[in-house]
Amino acid sequence: MAETSEAQASASASAPGGDAGGDDDKHDERMLECNICLDTARDAVVSMCGHLFCWPCLHQWLETRPSRQVCPVCKAAISRDKVIPLYGRGNTKQEDPRNKVPPRPAGQRTEPESNSGFPGFGFGEGFHMSFGIGAFPFGVFTSTFNFGDPRPSAAPRGTAQYEEEQFLSKIFLWVAIVFVLWLVFA
Amino acid sequence: MANIAAKRIKREFKEVMKSEEVAGGAIKLELLDNSWTELQGEIAGPPDTPYEGGTFLLEIKVPETYPFNPPKIRFMTKIWHPNVSSVTGAICLDILKDQWAAALTLRTVLLSIQALLSAAEPNDPQDAVVAKQYKENPTLFALTARHWTHAYAGGPAAIRDFDAKVQRLLDMGVDEHQARVALSTYDWELERATEQLFNREE
Ligand SMILES: [Zn+2]
Ligand SMILES: [Zn+2]
Repeated sequence: MAETSEAQASASASAPGGDAGGDDDKHDERMLECNICLDTARDAVVSMCGHLFCWPCLHQWLETRPSRQVCPVCKAAISRDKVIPLYGRGNTKQEDPRNKVPPRPAGQRTEPESNSGFPGFGFGEGFHMSFGIGAFPFGVFTSTFNFGDPRPSAAPRGTAQYEEEQFLSKIFLWVAIVFVLWLVFA
Repeated sequence: MANIAAKRIKREFKEVMKSEEVAGGAIKLELLDNSWTELQGEIAGPPDTPYEGGTFLLEIKVPETYPFNPPKIRFMTKIWHPNVSSVTGAICLDILKDQWAAALTLRTVLLSIQALLSAAEPNDPQDAVVAKQYKENPTLFALTARHWTHAYAGGPAAIRDFDAKVQRLLDMGVDEHQARVALSTYDWELERATEQLFNREE
């Protein structure tokens, strides 16, 4: 019911367009709007049912209802593995948006204070931490040192910044391993 | 996070204002504060229903997690409907609960609530008393709903018999709304309504 009227409304809204170029442009823009934030889709993915989303928006929708993963528009079954990333022209790196860590709601993950001496921190937690570091080098790099943007900024492959991030994350991984060993044997 | 909610509500607000339903007077949306979290909706009672001619106000609260979670909506105008609490205005509508989808908007939600007024779901009631009357005595239900629409939503059709009974209780010092609730609950039998009202006060 609600969906039907939505479809009708957008159909009638686009109907008067076509006589003026401006209206056409506007219509094209609406076609590329994310169905969740209603903004132009960034890191766009499209579902098997053909609905367009920003990957971060869709990811958050799927996380909000892990037990009921349906398309926010038509309620067809949907999952992370069944969406197709869209690469427009000028997007040279063609990185799958699903491989980026989507921005999370604030407050879901807090990093422990690194200078607190880890009172009461067991081996299990320490090990768990370093495992996370291995899996998400960028994520840990940015969140641990808190450099500006909380989102991991994946620099384009091959650039100096990319190399540097790779290098730093490797160093950090080694530091973490040494730290864990120190926890075990100290 | 709150950022995406406010951004979306702003966008939705603009779209609602341009919509044909607003132009046609079927729905309205008003902003109550600058943080885009509290709005007031308004829907017109659908034609050929006991709510026809009435205007129903809705309280809309937008959670910080919108649109990943539904807006919280309740009737501020008192209404006699199986899926709306006659006491709190709470609405029993699946899309406001587990059937919420992030692509739904305030506009589509308001239209769905309006559609609910045309097609009640008495088997999934919010107000058991109303739902029972709806199923067992549809004619009386329709008259009662029409009477409430007249009393609270500016509806055109007064039911003289009902007004007279409410007045009888008013003369006994009963609060008007309490009188209306008691009479509606007891199928407009003045004696039973009176009994219930005065027994409860003891
Ligand atoms: Zn989006
Ligand atoms: Zn879909």
